[in-house]
Order: sequence, then C-alpha cells, then structure tokens
Amino acid sequence: MRLRIANRLAEVFFALDRIDVALHEAGLADAQRADIRLVIEELLVNTVHHGYPDGQPGWIEIRLDVDREAVTVEIGDDAAPFDPLAQPEPTLPGDLADRHEIGGLGIHLVRALASDVRYARDARGNRLTLRFFHPSPEPTT
Amino acid sequence: MTLTLRTESSSPNRTTLWLQGRLDAETFGELDEALGTIMPTVADGGTLVLELGALDYISSAGLRSFAKARKAMRERHGHTLLLNPQPQVRKVFDIVKAVPVNEVFANTEELDDYLDRMQRQVIEQQESGEG
Repeated sequence: MRLRIANRLAEVFFALDRIDVALHEAGLADAQRADIRLVIEELLVNTVHHGYPDGQPGWIEIRLDVDREAVTVEIGDDAAPFDPLAQPEPTLPGDLADRHEIGGLGIHLVRALASDVRYARDARGNRLTLRFFHPSPEPTT
Repeated sequence: MTLTLRTESSSPNRTTLWLQGRLDAETFGELDEALGTIMPTVADGGTLVLELGALDYISSAGLRSFAKARKAMRERHGHTLLLNPQPQVRKVFDIVKAVPVNEVFANTEELDDYLDRMQRQVIEQQESGEG
C-alpha cells in the first residue's frame, strides 16, 4: 500500500483510517493495529506541526508492507530535516502534570512501540523506516 | 470512530466524565472544551473522575489534555482520578508514566474506597487540629 498526502492534519487522519482498514484486512490484531496507528499518528502530526515552519505546502508519503515476520512502514516527506532517533529522552517524573516541557512524549511513544526505527536523509527529504514484529502467539500448554 | 463525551455530577464534590472512542490530535480539542465547561462546576477540593472503560485509544495529544486537567484541578486543591483504562490506553500510560499508580482504579468500588479513605483523613486532620 502506498499513500501520498499533503502536509495537512485532515489528510493525516484520512491516511490513518486507510492504513487501519488495510491492516485489519491483513488480519492484524486490534492491539498491534492500535500501536502502529499511534506511532504513525505521532510522526505525521509532528511533521505537519513542526516540519514546515514557513507554512509552505509539502508532501508526505507512506508505504506499508505486511509479511509473515513484521509490518514495515516507510514514511518520506519534504519537511525540514528531523531525526526522531536523535531526540533526547523526555523527563518522566511519574505524573505528566509535573512536567514543565510540553513535547517529547510522541517521539518517546514511537521509540517504545516500534520494534526497529531507522532514519535517513537524502535529496528528496526525510525517510523513516519502522518495523513492527508480529507478537508471538501465546504458548499453548 | 470519533470521541464521545458524557458527564454526570453526583454532587458538587464529584463529577464524572465518560470518554468513548479515540482521543487523539483530531479530537483532543473536544475534550479540552468539555473540561473547560465542567471543571469550574466542581467545588474547590473536589474530584474529577475520567471514566475510560470505553476509550479505545489515546495519543500524546490526549495525554497533554489529561495533564492540563490534572494541573488545573490541583491548583484548586482538587483531584483527577482515572477509572477503568483498557489495555491499549493503560499501556500508553505505563510508557510515559502518565499518572501515579494509586490514582488509577480498575472499578468504581476501588475508587469509592479511595475517596472514603481520603474523606476520613480530612475529617481526622480537622478533628486533631481542633483538639
């Protein structure tokens, strides 16, 4: 599956719904679909909010591939360079109401929920490749 | 699926807000708006209960709304307690250490017991202060 959208929030949620349907049709369990949706939401919303500081129009491309081992998601865009792996870990005092900074939670969720994240920057822009391994089946005794 | 909200106030000291559906960057504004209306109606020192049994999904945008609500209630010496989060939402809470474990309840009985204990502590403190 391949989707190309404009850098607008409404299109992000249109893409998330399309991806959800595709993953449902591929037979993924609700929990894995929710994790993948969450990771993609955090990344795309972040790109739309912060990747185009001058408000210029841009594009975001999402590719989805499901095989026996994992779901692979590739996200490309022409936004400002942004490597989520290079961001510092957020401070987590045990109560979000005690945090002083606003950001950092989304990228923390991305790193926690994706099995593997790789970032590259080329002439076209940012490229992020994420993998989500299928959960192991419960052992039967 | 979007976000559906419903409120019930059993007394000025306690208001419950039920959340159903998905709380994300598209819907958090609806929650903020509802909280902006509800929170001023809760008495100072009162309790806001967020009932999460039918909330399927939360992203960082929703977490920020919860944090804002907890801060606002705390400034008025009140509490924001979370009731019945389902596995997906609970997993997200765990990853970001969203709230102290003792402010999340699996069911209404646990929550009522907690509020009763808090109430007794307040009365005991008042009595020892008087004595």
